[in-house]
Amino acid sequence: MKLRKSYLLLASVTVWILLGRLLNGTHTLQIATYENTSFTSYVGKKALELRGNRTESPAFIYFFNPIRGAIDGFVQGIRNLIAVPAPNSLIPIIGWLGVVGLVAFAVYATSQWRTALLSVSLLLACGALGMWQFTMDSIAMTLAAVLLSLAIGIPLGIWAGLSDRVLKIFTPFLDLAQILPTLVYMAPIALVFMIGAASATIATMIYSIPIAIRITSHAIRNLNQSPIEAAESMGSTQKQKLSKVQIPMAKQMIVLGINQTVMAAVSFVVIAALIGAPGLGKPVIEALIIRNVGQGFVAGFAVVFLAILLDRSTSAAAKSQTSFIPPTEKQIKTKRIILIVSAILAVVSVFMSRTMLWAAVWPKEVTIAPQVARVTNNITGWILENLTIFTVGFKDLISYSVLNPLETQLAASPWYVTVGMIVALALIIGGTRTAILAFVLAMAIVLSGLWYEAMLTLTQTIVGCMLTMIIGLALGIWTGRSDRALRVLRPFLDAGQTLPAFVYLVPMLGLFGPTRFTAIATGIVYAIPVVVKIVSEGIRAVPHALIEAATAAGSTTRQIITKVQLPAAKKTILLATNQGLIYVLAVVVIGGFVGAGGLGYLVIAGNSKPELQGKGLIAGVAILLLGVIFDRIMQAGARRST
Amino acid sequence: MKSLFGRRSAVVTVVIAAALILSGCSSSSVNDSAGEASGDCGSYAIAMHAWGGYTASAQVLAEVAKQELGCTITQTTLEEGPVSYDAMEAGTIDVVIEDWGGGRWKDWTDRGAVVEAGENGNIGIIGMYVAPWMVEKYPDITDSKNLNKYAAMFKTADSGGKGAWFEGPTGYTTIGEKMVSANKLNFKVIFSGSEAALVDGFIKAEANKTAFIGYAWQPWTLHSKLPTLEAARVVFPANDWSDPAAASGLTDYPSTPLLKLISKKLNDANDSFTSLVKNFSWTNADQNSVAADLEGGMTAEEAAKKWIAANAATVASWIGK
Repeated sequence: MKLRKSYLLLASVTVWILLGRLLNGTHTLQIATYENTSFTSYVGKKALELRGNRTESPAFIYFFNPIRGAIDGFVQGIRNLIAVPAPNSLIPIIGWLGVVGLVAFAVYATSQWRTALLSVSLLLACGALGMWQFTMDSIAMTLAAVLLSLAIGIPLGIWAGLSDRVLKIFTPFLDLAQILPTLVYMAPIALVFMIGAASATIATMIYSIPIAIRITSHAIRNLNQSPIEAAESMGSTQKQKLSKVQIPMAKQMIVLGINQTVMAAVSFVVIAALIGAPGLGKPVIEALIIRNVGQGFVAGFAVVFLAILLDRSTSAAAKSQTSFIPPTEKQIKTKRIILIVSAILAVVSVFMSRTMLWAAVWPKEVTIAPQVARVTNNITGWILENLTIFTVGFKDLISYSVLNPLETQLAASPWYVTVGMIVALALIIGGTRTAILAFVLAMAIVLSGLWYEAMLTLTQTIVGCMLTMIIGLALGIWTGRSDRALRVLRPFLDAGQTLPAFVYLVPMLGLFGPTRFTAIATGIVYAIPVVVKIVSEGIRAVPHALIEAATAAGSTTRQIITKVQLPAAKKTILLATNQGLIYVLAVVVIGGFVGAGGLGYLVIAGNSKPELQGKGLIAGVAILLLGVIFDRIMQAGARRST
Repeated sequence: MKSLFGRRSAVVTVVIAAALILSGCSSSSVNDSAGEASGDCGSYAIAMHAWGGYTASAQVLAEVAKQELGCTITQTTLEEGPVSYDAMEAGTIDVVIEDWGGGRWKDWTDRGAVVEAGENGNIGIIGMYVAPWMVEKYPDITDSKNLNKYAAMFKTADSGGKGAWFEGPTGYTTIGEKMVSANKLNFKVIFSGSEAALVDGFIKAEANKTAFIGYAWQPWTLHSKLPTLEAARVVFPANDWSDPAAASGLTDYPSTPLLKLISKKLNDANDSFTSLVKNFSWTNADQNSVAADLEGGMTAEEAAKKWIAANAATVASWIGK
């Protein structure tokens, strides 16, 4: 059975290649960038009408504009508190010293002094990088988005946790939200809510609400049933059961959900600057534009510090309540005294930040930004000078040997040949239902008129995913087999997951120039951490008994890896490939900024050229369709492989 | 109902609330000592676009408004074009000090959301430029008719067998595909995506003596790094404007007087900042000098202040002193 499948795959690929060669260059559906199809120009016209209607149409007056106003006001309120001068004032309500004092107190009160110390030093480091106000703006934006996300996500999550039917309705949307590349939905949101803090907050919420819903419902669903049954047998009402038993029991998991929601919001900090979010994204994107690697890294470090700060403080709050050993009388007393003292200190620091200028506005003299920028500039300068020969050589090698042939095959073949191939793949790997879905979605791309561009993006995504899997598998096996390797790589993986892709897009541009490969390389760097983590977990989950049996039978290490661990972890590896593909796709489209062309370029061009607006919006949808096609095929493949 | 977070967070909440109340009561002496906002100028937002020249103009405008008029100015980074016009309509942006768009704001000005505020004195020249070293070696390359002869030199891994034609950044006015087809060139348009990519391309090509043809413009800071760049501009046949609606007839970029745009709010306010923006005008050389300082590592603020100090008379004419 398995053998037949791979033969079928091989046969259909051969047919595809032959047909592609034979009919090369015909029916490619390629149109010039400035040209619109009747469909895209229709969408563009509708979008333009929508813009014009903002002041008149009831949908805007009674629905969208009030939402925008309310969220803008909410964000502005938080910003005035810590980040920007309040109205009729020259300083924020709480100056930097006050913020540091309050954070120290709040973190200490909810977890330990160690975490508090870490938080304070990270905050001070952001200040020393010259990023105080940007950091506060980002915190304000994150806080606003997280509070709103939780206000919506937790109730919905509880609902989905209690009712199977609700969960069933939510699931497709939650899945879709995980595939959706962030670049895609920013333009439509900005179209309705306009550029500004409100749009940025809503875009962030779209990304973080699904996570809050997922974890909350998971928390409610996986509770120990006996206390709930006990409550039922004692005649509790539904409401009592929920508020006295289920929610308190799920509390810790929900706090973990808060942590994940916060992290999702933080990961949006940079890209949200494209639609007017105040904060750290601004200097990062400026650095990309004027190509100042040093400045980009200074701001990028601040983003990473902020992410660590928020991660540690929220996850510590979740963990601190796990201890089963009750604290002694003395410990409680000490903690209480320190709490009172630090509370007083916090209040005093807020008071000082209101009355003394040095405590209100971060002193400009206290800065390490120029040094950091110089060091990173020097390092990247050295790399660019000495390594470009290799990087350009590597880029050309991949371009000529993989990228160009694949692009010819995918984009220069007639559309019906490639659609047929995708459907055949879906049929062989996923089955009939997957094949029908793939056919419908692929035809939607064809009809949208953006097939050619979609194939360019697909080519880059596939090549990026292949390289990611080669590196990711190697590192994943290594870290899966050795605790030491995991310890060494862990910080890099964590940093890679929080460092915004925009930060390393700049040095990548230096290394590879404005090419498709720059986008691919950025996608690889972005996707590797998640692939390594999943593969490593998969390798670790292989039962020890299997490995011991193989060792006893005299297998070499290589045999154990290839014959035991990899086959046993096959499903996880398929899932990792799927994640890799989705991650690479999400970043490859950002490559439109650096010469990669394809759908990503159209999305970006649609933002700035009125005549391409419709095309840009449709390009966003096409990216999503591509993502869904491949996610479905891979998921179906992973399901079947068990 | 028991709080999700337990007693501790209740304590935290109380302390933070207390701190807030206290901060509300405490004196606002910092506000008195930190500076003085005066004059009839309100609080406005200037759009900050991506390219160096724009930054120079906008920063000088901001510094003059703050120093001389006492305005409260915020500078918001965002994309040019519709994104900015929308922001002006929404009231989050008041000034675009330099727009190259040739009337793309028409939908917004028609409904009164955006108001044209005259030319800013800069003349925008866009064109296709080769790497300057090539002009010396191949003197006839700047005539567009000879480009096909050299097309093979411009090939890269990404250009599909044709010459690579590096197009301008996304938001900019670009007609590369139309030029290539109208001039029947054997080139493929590569969308380089950002100013940084072009700077990088020109500098590397000049240093390594490799072939390069890319989108460039005046005023632009790259000219201070590559002084011979202007001579490397490829001359294309002039556009036939007898049928401007014909999308495919464009053979070259027209030069454009750059325009200022302001929000309805700023236009209606008619205060000292409105007149500053309307009077603001300077030359390509002015802009290049500030932009060059920026490029040289000065902060935008320093570079702008330096220019203001050296050009007091021009500044005075803007603010009507």
